Formats: sequence, structure tokens, C-alpha cells
Amino acid sequence: MVPKPHRVLLDRVSGYADEAAAYVRRRRALRRPFARLYYRGGRAEDHAADSIAGGELFVAAGRLIEVAGRRPKA
Amino acid sequence: MGGILAEMADGETSTTISGDAAEAALAYLAEMSPDLRGAAILDAAGSVLAAGGDADRWGEDAAALFDVADRAGGEAVEQVHVGTEQGEVFALRHAGLAAVAVTDRFALSSLTFFDMRSLLRDLAAGGNGVPDGP
Repeated sequence: MVPKPHRVLLDRVSGYADEAAAYVRRRRALRRPFARLYYRGGRAEDHAADSIAGGELFVAAGRLIEVAGRRPKA
Repeated sequence: MGGILAEMADGETSTTISGDAAEAALAYLAEMSPDLRGAAILDAAGSVLAAGGDADRWGEDAAALFDVADRAGGEAVEQVHVGTEQGEVFALRHAGLAAVAVTDRFALSSLTFFDMRSLLRDLAAGGNGVPDGP
């Protein structure tokens, strides 16, 4: 029996959603701390945590995270 | 230390921005960004126009971040994005203003920067960071 057209569409959307969810899970598991700077013209620069500039950026960011505090759970 | 935008390359806003407008912009940013923990908006001199919490601390720490970032690359940065285990920090200079935001981990960076840029653009144009209705 030929599946109803809306069934095909639903299956396809579910497939994409599953793929996306798996991608996000992998990305979260693999993601490491980073410090990235962007300049006019589109240039971007990464600074490793163990570099001098990277270390300073992480310290400065850490102070801002401290100021912002924790978000109350909804 | 000079103003937070002392090395700003894209010019300063000629509009005087009220604290109320900046507060409204910040509230709108919080409404649009479910991952947001806190944020601040600063003027060209580094004065805090609006902040979620201790304004003095926000001002000092935002200036320190921009200072470190400018020195790291040898030129004025436009955007800073630092991701740590504890959260993420976004900082942006635009239209003679600056915004700093702290979010939970894994916030969508392009959307966060887009929202921050939109509200700074609107504030610089004399609005309150909140787009007009449809």
C-alpha cells in the first residue's frame, strides 16, 4: 500500500530532526573552551587557553560571568 | 585606561542615549534570549547605560575584556566571544556603543551577536532597541 503523502513528509521531517539532535549532542560533547576575536573586515583569531592572550581573555571573561551570576531556574 | 571605545573604528553615535532607552533595550534582549544570564550596554566613554546588576563591576570588567582583546590582536576588536565551562561571554562594539552579554553554555552565537548588534544600532539611531510592531 502506498503511504499517505503527509506520512512521507512527517517521516522526512522526523529524520532531519533526529540528525540535527545527534549533531548537537556530538558538538556539545566535543566542544572545548575557546576565545575568539573578530575584527572589521571579517578577520577572526582564536587564542588558545594556554597562550598569554588566551589566559588573559579567559580571566576577563570569568570576571564577567561572575558578575552576571547564575540564572535562576525557571 | 581610555574610553572603552577609544580605538573604535566605526565612529561614534551623535545621539544622546537615555538610561531608560538602554534599560528597555536590555529588557528586550533578555526577553529574546532565553540563555541570557546578564548583560550591559556602555557608551563611548565606557559609562554603563544599563546593566543587569552591579553597574560599576560591569563597567570595569567590560573595559578590562576589551582592553585585553585589543592588545591580543594589536588592533581594536569588533566582537569577542569566549566560551568557558561556566558560561559564554559575548562583547560587541557597534555604532559607537558597546554591549556585553553573558549566557549559558552553547548559546547560539550568531543569533546572540545579531540581537546585540540590532539593539545597539537602534539605540544609536535614537530608538530604545525594541523594534516597532508589525
